[in-house]
Amino acid sequence: MFALQLALSGLAQGAIYALVALSMCVVYRATTIVNFGHGDLVMAGAFVVYLLAVLAGLPFLAAATLAVVLLFILGLLIEIGLIERIKAGPHIGFALMCIAFGYLLRGIARAVWGREVLPMPSVFNFPPVFLGELVITADALVIFAAVGLLLAAFFAVFYRSSAGRVMQALCQSERGAALVGINVRAFHGVMWGVGAALGAVGGVLLAPITLLHPGLGASFLIKGFAAMTLGGFGSFGGAVLGGLILGVAEQLVGGYVSTKLIDITAYLVIILVLALRPNGLFGRAIAEKV
Amino acid sequence: MRFYLIPLAAAAIPLVANPYTQFMVNLMLVYILVAVGFNLVLGNLGQLAFANTALFGIGAYTAAMLMAHAGWPFWLVILPAGLAGAAAGFLASVTALRGIRVYYLAIVTLAFGELLRWSYIHGERVTGGTDGLAVPRADFFGIALDSETARFYVFLLIVTVLVKAVSNLLRSRIGRAIVAIRDNELATASLAIPTGRYIVLAFALSGFVVGIAGSLFAVLIGRVIPESFGLIELILHFAMVLVGGLGSLFGSVLGAVALTALPEFFRRFPGMYEMFFGALLIVFLLAQPRGLAALAARWWPQLRDRYYRDR
Repeated sequence: MFALQLALSGLAQGAIYALVALSMCVVYRATTIVNFGHGDLVMAGAFVVYLLAVLAGLPFLAAATLAVVLLFILGLLIEIGLIERIKAGPHIGFALMCIAFGYLLRGIARAVWGREVLPMPSVFNFPPVFLGELVITADALVIFAAVGLLLAAFFAVFYRSSAGRVMQALCQSERGAALVGINVRAFHGVMWGVGAALGAVGGVLLAPITLLHPGLGASFLIKGFAAMTLGGFGSFGGAVLGGLILGVAEQLVGGYVSTKLIDITAYLVIILVLALRPNGLFGRAIAEKV
Repeated sequence: MRFYLIPLAAAAIPLVANPYTQFMVNLMLVYILVAVGFNLVLGNLGQLAFANTALFGIGAYTAAMLMAHAGWPFWLVILPAGLAGAAAGFLASVTALRGIRVYYLAIVTLAFGELLRWSYIHGERVTGGTDGLAVPRADFFGIALDSETARFYVFLLIVTVLVKAVSNLLRSRIGRAIVAIRDNELATASLAIPTGRYIVLAFALSGFVVGIAGSLFAVLIGRVIPESFGLIELILHFAMVLVGGLGSLFGSVLGAVALTALPEFFRRFPGMYEMFFGALLIVFLLAQPRGLAALAARWWPQLRDRYYRDR
């Protein structure tokens, strides 16, 4: 029973990791850029929702929607203003740019909030659900529902709609897509926006269940990477499954071995996966250059 | 010979410096090694890596632990600190050679650095936990390093030797292979150069230089704490290499000298530090991606980077 209860709370955490990993994957697949500032976008989502809901007094749902929209615009602006401009340079410039705006966002958050750690008042006050002896908290229920809906919508759009086919075409070959008249630059901007917005949803869901501090992003960046690595780098489904597995693994390790190890489970996962199964659990072997 | 003119001129600094500025100059020497070592991986190899603070930290902790627990004198711990850094560089890079190299190396080094910092915090018995470890009085072949001036001359000697060594290394077969991998790994491999091995070698060499920087840092600051080697420190390392000029040895020296004193100004305002360095990186990436070294080379063409080809 204990294990099941741990796994359940792990799944709720893991659902957020899954969302973060998926949103990183979106940017990576669409633009081949790994966004090393993505954790800070998640943090920004959480902080904007805190600002709007607690300080400005908006209802949570309105604050959450507004935060996601704002982060979409931020993602778009980052692509247009920063990433697009250095296209001519070496590829390492993109990664450095992502690191730079990540630190900038973190600095802004720290300047506004100072050194405090902020608890956000609980938002979802309806009673928990009991399944036999298992308890599913209100927060977990909301996370499951929100992430489930979002994932269903994402996969439906990506694999079923005509807009999704355009995206798939672009992910496969930019040049080919450009040849049949698809606007590649607009696509890159929009996908950065979508990535940032999905990450922001993770931040929004996270805000009520954790302590907010500006350094939050770094740990989510690593957890997103761990989930992506576990599921196979660049695979959407793999990122989601990897996130869920990571969440459960963290709780089990914390419950049965030591809570000190929760913090480093993600690092160990990354190193173990690369040592034992470099293509991840579900990834197809990618032909190695060289 | 012209190379040695700079350290010779620098040797006059203690004549004009007060103890505080002398401390800052000593810190600059430490960061010159940090930037030169990091540049080997980031600029010359062209590989994104986050392990530099970890390598710096492992050098500092190795030196501090050997001095505090085993009672070794300072001059004896410099080499072990470098070797520990090299071993860490090897470990951080060797796992990533399987898999999609470019990003996996970056991610593994990120995980590796945080893992090390976690072990400093939780290894209280040997590392002193979050309180850190006090470094005993340093001694360099009988000379007590108890004044900033004494430390300066010893540091200057070590830094000069190492920077010259890196400079020579870059012109050797190894250095040219490393730069060739940055420019085109596939073409390099087709010349029967084992690129994987050279990547690991570059990380180990970088770790050696940065590890030694760590041992100097431990002696200069007098205490090693896990916080010194976290993400706040990492952006400083990135900024030094990038602002100086990716891939340019002279640039790294310039970047370290230019930026070492800056964090002091931001201590009182939370967030300013990260905002400033984030913005600084953005400005340089957009406006001057080849850094200060390229600017300097406009007036002084001898400084132009011979290992860089514009793409």
